[in-house]
Amino acid sequence: MGMAVAAPDLEPVPPFSPSPPYRAWLRANILPYALISPSVLVIAGILAFPLGMLVWLSLQHYGLRELIHHAGDWVGLDNYRAILVDPLFHQVIVRSLLFTFACVALTVVLSTLIALLLLKVRSAVRILVMSSLVFVWATPVIVSVDIWQWMFDYEFGVINYLLTQLHLGNFIHHNWFDNPVQGLGVLVVVVVWGAIPFVTITVFAGLLQVPNDVIDAAKVDGASAWHTFWYVTAPLLKPIFLIVTCLSTIWDFGVFNQIYVMLNQRPSSDYFTIAIYSYRESFGVTQYGLGAAIAVLMVLVLVFVTFFYVRETVKVAEIA
Amino acid sequence: MKLTRTWLSVVTVAVAVIATACGGSTGTTTNPADQTGTLTVWLMNGSAPQSVIDSVNADFNAKYPKVTVKVEIQQWGDIGTKLDTAFGGSNPPDVIELGNTLVAKYAAADALENISGKKSSFDNSNTWLQSLTDSCTVNSKLYCVPYYAGSRAIIYRKDFFTAANVQVPTSMDDLLTVGQKLMTAHSSDPNFSALYFPGKYWYAALPFVWDFGGNIATQSGDKWQGSLNADGSQQGLVKLQNLVNALSRADKTGDEAKQDAAFAQGHIAMIIANGWEVGVITDPEAGNPALKDKLGAFPIPSHNSGQTAPVFLGGSDLAVAARSKHTDLANAWIGMLTGQKHMTDMATVGGVIPNTTSLLGLGTGLNQVFFGAAKNSRFVPNSKNWASVENANVLPDMLVKIFTKQQTIPEATGSASSRITSILNGGG
Repeated sequence: MGMAVAAPDLEPVPPFSPSPPYRAWLRANILPYALISPSVLVIAGILAFPLGMLVWLSLQHYGLRELIHHAGDWVGLDNYRAILVDPLFHQVIVRSLLFTFACVALTVVLSTLIALLLLKVRSAVRILVMSSLVFVWATPVIVSVDIWQWMFDYEFGVINYLLTQLHLGNFIHHNWFDNPVQGLGVLVVVVVWGAIPFVTITVFAGLLQVPNDVIDAAKVDGASAWHTFWYVTAPLLKPIFLIVTCLSTIWDFGVFNQIYVMLNQRPSSDYFTIAIYSYRESFGVTQYGLGAAIAVLMVLVLVFVTFFYVRETVKVAEIA
Repeated sequence: MKLTRTWLSVVTVAVAVIATACGGSTGTTTNPADQTGTLTVWLMNGSAPQSVIDSVNADFNAKYPKVTVKVEIQQWGDIGTKLDTAFGGSNPPDVIELGNTLVAKYAAADALENISGKKSSFDNSNTWLQSLTDSCTVNSKLYCVPYYAGSRAIIYRKDFFTAANVQVPTSMDDLLTVGQKLMTAHSSDPNFSALYFPGKYWYAALPFVWDFGGNIATQSGDKWQGSLNADGSQQGLVKLQNLVNALSRADKTGDEAKQDAAFAQGHIAMIIANGWEVGVITDPEAGNPALKDKLGAFPIPSHNSGQTAPVFLGGSDLAVAARSKHTDLANAWIGMLTGQKHMTDMATVGGVIPNTTSLLGLGTGLNQVFFGAAKNSRFVPNSKNWASVENANVLPDMLVKIFTKQQTIPEATGSASSRITSILNGGG
């Protein structure tokens, strides 16, 4: 209050205000929203509308007949009830979460190691590694997964041949997908291989921004390489790690192409991740409402899982 | 006599005038030469040889010179998904080849044109194969035209049999014995399979189930009950598992798509296959033409010596999409492909079982075995929900679980049966 009283003394109100008070109010309260509204409209159009349609679809019985007649039957939460009591769904959720965890952890650790290595090597090697990474990234997923499929092929695969030639055991006619744990391991390799380039390049870009004097100071203080990384570099790169982990989690949780193509478009239920499960219920059994409900649940799980990262990212941004 | 003729011509003219009047409302649809548009046809991979398609299109364009026919070849792998999307859209293909197990689903969903009134306009419609006609008939209405049938038998290497001094087996036990002798004779080849049986090959597993009196599902009233866990079904699967364990080095999690290419490489003595696969095996590009004279075929033997096991009667039908904008042209095209002339080509060039009993005599040589196998054939449950059982991979999954020993036969058949019961009765 004191401030308010004192204010006119410090800064007297000019006799002719250039804009009437309502205009100032308008400027302060409406203008930012007016400026942001085009992007909000675009985002609503391309994200909120389909998501809304998905939720709406998930509340209907929508089979082939309904698809052809373009009209579903309202069933409320029946689809959700059906899924939540399905034991397969529980397996799928656990499998998807473990698969995502394995992929994200491996991706981030390996990418960071490669990025650190890139700092140390000669520029010619760096260019070679970087361009290989970009090639991996630029290869369409379907094409690269097809190649992986041939490499792991049961009869003609080069992996079985190589492992046998290297005397690591008898891998002739070794079926990598006999045992789902092993098969999912192969799929983790394929997914991580495709995810490394983006994360490596991002982390590498971040590493270039770490000031050399901070590192030098740590070294002068006698910090080991590990300590320098853990206590100096890593905290500085925290925003980058948060973002790549968050994005990788979102991508890996929704993994579809790799599994679907690798297993000849007919993955058995042991290989169902949540995206495959949703697809199978929608298009396989022609229960689009049920498939939509699974997709909605998938979004909810993802929101829950990534909430932590997003909150941290926002915090970091606020500090900055 | 003269009077009758005059009358006939009067009637003909009258009919033509009426037809013109009716056709007039939709433009110039009466004169075939003036009809325009594009007719989109979806045929499945491997159904008709290119020469037959070309010949049908040539005949069609001779009659409808201004109509463009676009034949698009589809793959079997995920055709269910593709069909759902196509029928759900506003512009589906005009002519669609449908596997005979899929028709009921699309007919029940009003996706196909009811052609009951046009039946007599198709060649041989009185002698169509009964089981294909049945697959086209839903609630006593006709929704498609039978196209061709296929039934499986065992294709074998005569030279391997001669070298191992074995004869064509006459029972399932005999099949195992013969196979074991072949395995011994080829024991130096680590890739050799006496009977190559990929794990997901459910069409080839059904004969074993049926031969012991088992079935996929049984119907009482309007309720279905999965019966793969019944005693007979399980006995058949035990027999099959023994054969696969002893004789097959095929991928236990793979499907049959690559079996002809694998057979052509020379490390396989027997496969369970359709008649037309002989052509794929001996294809100069994809296969090995040198095998032509070394191939033989025999029906899958029953466990009762001297009899044959019932086989799955596969096949395809041709339907017109209910939303097609060219239903008359579509039916005309189907009429040509399924007519006497091109069905003869399908049987002789394509090696498939034609859609009419009047042409079954065309099966010669190896084809005779496959045409004969169709006589002892069975079908999957005729339900509009059967397609969902197929698309959910219930049977392939069950077989993979059994062959890879992740589950015992009672466990795997138990869960498959309850899934089938649920899907066939309209659940998910």
